[in-house]
Amino acid sequence: MAEKKKMTVAEILAAARATGGQDSAAKPAALKEPEAVAEQSAVEVPAKPVPKPKPAAASSAAGGARPGVADILAMARAKKAEAAGTAAQAVSEKPAAAAVKPVASKPAPKSPAAVGAAKTGVQRDTASILAAARAAAKPGPVAKADAPSRPAPKPRETAKPIEEKAAPPRTVATLPAKPVKPAKKGAADGEDRRGFLQIAMGSAMAMGFTALSVTGGLFTLGLARFLFPNVLAEPPSKFKVGSKDGFPAGKVETKFVAQYGVWVVNGDFQGLQQVYALKTVCTHLGCTPSWLEAEQKFKCPCHGSGFYKDGVNFEGPAPRPLERYAIRVADDGQLEIDKSKSFQEELGQWADPDSFVTV
Amino acid sequence: MHSSGFFLKDVAGFLGGYYAFMAIMNGVAALLLWRKKGQIGWTLVWTVFAGFLLVLASLALSGASDLVPALPTSVRSLVNRFSGPVLYTLGTFVLLTVLFIFRRFFVQPMVAWSILNAMLLLMGLSMADENFASIVMKPDNVPIVGLVFLLAFFTWLATSQAVVNDDRIARGLPTVEKENDEKVLVWPDLVYTELICMVAVSAFLLLWAICLPAPLEEPASSVKTPNPSKAPWYFLGLQEMLVYFDPWYAGVVLPSLVIFGLMAMPYLDFNKKGNGYYSIEERKFSYLTYQFGFFLLWITLIILGTFLRGPNWNFFGPFEFWTPYKVEVLNNVDLPQMFWVNLLDQPLPKAPSGASGLVQAGYILLREAPGLLVMGAYLVLLPPLLAVTVFRGFYAKMGFIRYMIMANLMLLMLTLPLKMALRWTLNLKYIVSIPEISLNF
Repeated sequence: MAEKKKMTVAEILAAARATGGQDSAAKPAALKEPEAVAEQSAVEVPAKPVPKPKPAAASSAAGGARPGVADILAMARAKKAEAAGTAAQAVSEKPAAAAVKPVASKPAPKSPAAVGAAKTGVQRDTASILAAARAAAKPGPVAKADAPSRPAPKPRETAKPIEEKAAPPRTVATLPAKPVKPAKKGAADGEDRRGFLQIAMGSAMAMGFTALSVTGGLFTLGLARFLFPNVLAEPPSKFKVGSKDGFPAGKVETKFVAQYGVWVVNGDFQGLQQVYALKTVCTHLGCTPSWLEAEQKFKCPCHGSGFYKDGVNFEGPAPRPLERYAIRVADDGQLEIDKSKSFQEELGQWADPDSFVTV
Repeated sequence: MHSSGFFLKDVAGFLGGYYAFMAIMNGVAALLLWRKKGQIGWTLVWTVFAGFLLVLASLALSGASDLVPALPTSVRSLVNRFSGPVLYTLGTFVLLTVLFIFRRFFVQPMVAWSILNAMLLLMGLSMADENFASIVMKPDNVPIVGLVFLLAFFTWLATSQAVVNDDRIARGLPTVEKENDEKVLVWPDLVYTELICMVAVSAFLLLWAICLPAPLEEPASSVKTPNPSKAPWYFLGLQEMLVYFDPWYAGVVLPSLVIFGLMAMPYLDFNKKGNGYYSIEERKFSYLTYQFGFFLLWITLIILGTFLRGPNWNFFGPFEFWTPYKVEVLNNVDLPQMFWVNLLDQPLPKAPSGASGLVQAGYILLREAPGLLVMGAYLVLLPPLLAVTVFRGFYAKMGFIRYMIMANLMLLMLTLPLKMALRWTLNLKYIVSIPEISLNF
């Protein structure tokens, strides 16, 4: 976390500096930001003051005319310290957390709490430092040489790069920052175990979409299985309705509607007396019309379509006549209706001898 | 005829409360007007009216069948005799047109209040009729009664603000919205309001569900359709549309066009005015088009489908008994039949039996030629014709594509009222009728 924050700050600073030009110098400076900060911090580090100037610091110092990150920060801190009228003595454990600790504190032995405080203080302080630095940097470049003239306590340069940390007893608390390094390296090269699939499939995107399509395909196949049930409970499509004599001329038999959805009619169609089976489905939108004996018509309750006794539409929105089912005289003399076949008048199928039984 | 004593006893208690509520409503209105000063006349009117309503309430509460206030039987039968789909549709059209043209008069609070009272009173008096009450008080029809009043209220509210704004714009003043553009915070102002509304609406819905139980019927069966069979109330406009069209058009194309048309509106609209405030004058075309589609082609159809369509989807007057044996002559014929048989006195072109598919298709095209020509002229010739006449300015401002989309959407919207009119006047079933491939228009 701390490292990330640092990097963000570094980027901001790099961008700020980049406006002044000199990209070549800015880049390394930005990269080495944590160290630079550490070197120039107004921090009293009681242990291990190893004077080991880093390239970035050197370059920025050599740059002279253009303020380096360290310069900006140091200067800003100095201003802050002036304003506060007190010498800031921050406790720092590692370069990463080496920003100013505004609360003046003794260089007390570093307890984990102190470290935590230093860490939590990092973000806010850095922000204000940056703001101040940007404001100060505007008027003109400040040479690094000017920095020491500030009234702040002279910084003791220290170089404690994360990588090289020898893990002395005191710095144990900062260790968790370390694991970043190997992860970074592995991700960059793509050569660790986590990168294997990525290499094998081409990219993370390909991997994801392959997984998605495989899962989706399997799921669809699983769903499709439901279309073929093991047992199909359907009433038989053929059924017998009794002998022809049970259907006197002109009668619409409605007693098979509830069970089979069919009217058996002995009626007159184009001058021929026939027995036919009409499907009880309105040809408009599929409701079940009702037979109105008084008016001698089928009338649909949904949109008011009306059909004559022979099934031909004459009122309402129904566009075509009711359909007929196949009907025949079975071997035992009974009428047998087959619902698996239907006949449509508008296609001329009512002329089919399967669609009626002549009386 | 059907107003039995038993029914009146049942409904009397409700009507007593109804009139008492109206009396309180008017009493409060009178009190508020009294406090405002300078409205002595109206204060008196509403006080007297409240007293009159109290008399009605006590009459209703008496429960005696000859005392409960009701519309005279002669008036009821007169209404029944003259009501029909044609008169209903034309009547609502005329009514809404009058309301629109004289909106300056109708938006006055006292006029609106009078109209509200008249509506409520008329409903109360009608409710003493058993046939009317049995439809209006049915639990699934109650929302539509609410819809009528809510829509009337909100339309009045918007129109009155638009009228005020139009006046201000005409005088060169900023709109009301611009003048009082006080802003409030989302939190807490809006979120709290929403929270309170949520709680109140939930409580209201709970109460509603307890007081007016959902109509549970017998288990569904594919071979048994209730008579009348009605869609949910919000789809009754759609069901009414289906009376005039094939399912693919009224059930699929038109609803999709409604949705796509509404989505296309912001892109078709070139009028920059009326943004963020109510105004009618500045957006007359948009306003009228929308209100025509919304009120006449949707809301009035819902009301028609709910209250006036009975068994077998026959039309019934508001005080008519819903008998499934009502006989209505609705015979209708397709345009090819009209053209070939009635006009030219010759049989419909029919392919000889055993003809190949292509020959059959040719005969079908010949048979449907008049309808196809009419449809083609309507959808292809009319838009350019309109572009050089009525919509000349629109075409110039919108450009070809936007204009064509707008014109076609409008023409397709107008197919509904046109088809209704053709059905009523000419008994026309379908203009193009190809049942062989289930394509009818």
